[in-house]
Amino acid sequence: MQSGILRPALATYTALFLLFLYGPMIVLAILSFQSIDGGPQFPIRDWSTYWYQHLLGLAESSRVSQLPVGESLVRSILLAFMTTVVSTILGVMSAEAFRTKFKGSGPAFYLIILGMMVPGVLVGLGMALLSNTLGIGRAWWSTSFVLHVVYTYPFAFLIMLAIFNRFDRTVEEASFSLGVPPAQTFRRVTFPIIFPGVLSAMLFSFTLSYDEFARTLFTAGRDLTLPLSIYGTFSVEIYPNIFAFGVLTTLFSFTLLVIYGLLMKRFTAKASRFSGQEDAA
Amino acid sequence: MVYDLELNSVGKTYPDGTVAVSDFDLQVEKGEFVAFLGPSGCGKSTTLRMIAGFEDITNGEVMMMGQNVTHLPPEKRPTSMIFQNYALFPHMSVRDNVAFGLDVKGTPKAEKNQKVDRILDMFDLEKFADRKADMLSGGQRQRIALARGLVVEPEILLLDEPLGALDANLRRIIQNELKLLQRELGITFIFVTHAQSEALGLSDRVVVMSNGVVEQVSSPKDLYRRPNTPFVADFIGSNTLIQGTPKGASSAGFGLIDTPYGVLKGVGKGDESMAVVPAEAFRIAPQGTPDEICLSGTLSSRQLIGSVGHLKVRLDQGGDDVSIEISADRDDVRALVPGAPVTLGVDPTSITLIHT
Repeated sequence: MQSGILRPALATYTALFLLFLYGPMIVLAILSFQSIDGGPQFPIRDWSTYWYQHLLGLAESSRVSQLPVGESLVRSILLAFMTTVVSTILGVMSAEAFRTKFKGSGPAFYLIILGMMVPGVLVGLGMALLSNTLGIGRAWWSTSFVLHVVYTYPFAFLIMLAIFNRFDRTVEEASFSLGVPPAQTFRRVTFPIIFPGVLSAMLFSFTLSYDEFARTLFTAGRDLTLPLSIYGTFSVEIYPNIFAFGVLTTLFSFTLLVIYGLLMKRFTAKASRFSGQEDAA
Repeated sequence: MVYDLELNSVGKTYPDGTVAVSDFDLQVEKGEFVAFLGPSGCGKSTTLRMIAGFEDITNGEVMMMGQNVTHLPPEKRPTSMIFQNYALFPHMSVRDNVAFGLDVKGTPKAEKNQKVDRILDMFDLEKFADRKADMLSGGQRQRIALARGLVVEPEILLLDEPLGALDANLRRIIQNELKLLQRELGITFIFVTHAQSEALGLSDRVVVMSNGVVEQVSSPKDLYRRPNTPFVADFIGSNTLIQGTPKGASSAGFGLIDTPYGVLKGVGKGDESMAVVPAEAFRIAPQGTPDEICLSGTLSSRQLIGSVGHLKVRLDQGGDDVSIEISADRDDVRALVPGAPVTLGVDPTSITLIHT
């Protein structure tokens, strides 16, 4: 009845929303193909892939110095990888613990969740002060790493909690009653069934850590991670090479997403059949 | 005598003080088929899960083959459990599901394959062996679950409402298979159900439970003919329960009870305060045998289902209508119409006197 007005209004709103969401990225992508003598703004003087060559060190000589991201990129990927492994393992283990109520499970739950609720600036500052007081050197692989885990672990934990919520316990009981001890039951029955959830937890941990800024800013010490070093380039003059870099990292993220999607597709087929089994019961 | 399964005053009390099961005593011989029967929430599943090792036992002990297993984890007990929702492993093929237990035990490959093949054959599952378990129908899935549970050669098979998720037709088929299987294998079966027909039709002995307490343990026939408690008399079959005051024993060995319908005779000592009359015990038109009890009333409703007539009769002395099941082949039964006067005869040997 109201759809005469409501539908176009909602459509316009959605279109605007998507434009604001992806507009900056699209502009960035377009500007990354600026020619050698163009600046980081419109108009595009000429289309070229010069800044990509420049970024990868393939351009012959330039008045613009190369973007100092090579090492920080490696650091960020390493850090995100470490964080992913630790957070996911912690997330799976603690969600498994929360399947049965235990004494103090309520407070423990909120203490875990706190890690993602508190402002990053505060935690980062606190960690910096604490490590100063204790005389611990700050580095991306130590102090930052700890904060990244504190930050991403609640996400992994919540995802696994949701997965275990839907998990049919009788499958494990069936395994026990066949004479299979808990450790093997987990490895051969539980884990394959919860694997899609584990993948999601990994993806979340990785992406959250990969572009974490506030916590890292205070705790990374001298060697910067990628978000920090990109930020650093803003304080000097900006050239389109940073846009080229943005495009490449976005592509990298998309690749991760595609891999995730493919793996999920393989495993959710099984998961959906699993829930079908519950429906039949 | 070493029993396959022995429960000695087994009980479970939850931390909040709720009593789920109390003082459960039972001895099961090798090869027996025992059913736990009761309304939902009566503690039958909890007891089964205590036997399997999934629930902590807070009182008493469980013995299997003379060994105390009260505190053993499920994987160390010689039991296998079959679940209502099948609980198959969704990520494995039918064959892998069945082979799983042997696989983990490290059974040599040749022996494992031979056993798995044999049991797949036994349950008519070879043609599905390579399919994913969840692509199959409910009946087939429960067969897979049975094959998976039996291939590890348990001493005791525990079945938790295994037919509950199947439709009536399949239920009957699998029920028959279960009975044959149990006879063939000679394994002890403990079967939990809330369906009377399953319990009475399948088992050698039935344990009737209500509110966490065992009401009666007996053969299906005795459970039907000689209930021990008002709960059982009400739960099993369709009995008429008549309250009264004990009147001592008669010279012929019957117990006597004074009821609103006069003094009734029945099987008992004479100190019981309730008479249980099965619906099938009533006869229309008394035979005139010396011990026979005669009651008169009016027919209030009549329903013929096949060859069985279900009658309700209002007795002259009042009270609730009594239910009667009687062969409807006879002309005098067919001729009855509601409102007609009826005289009922009951043989006192089919009346059971119980304590309330």
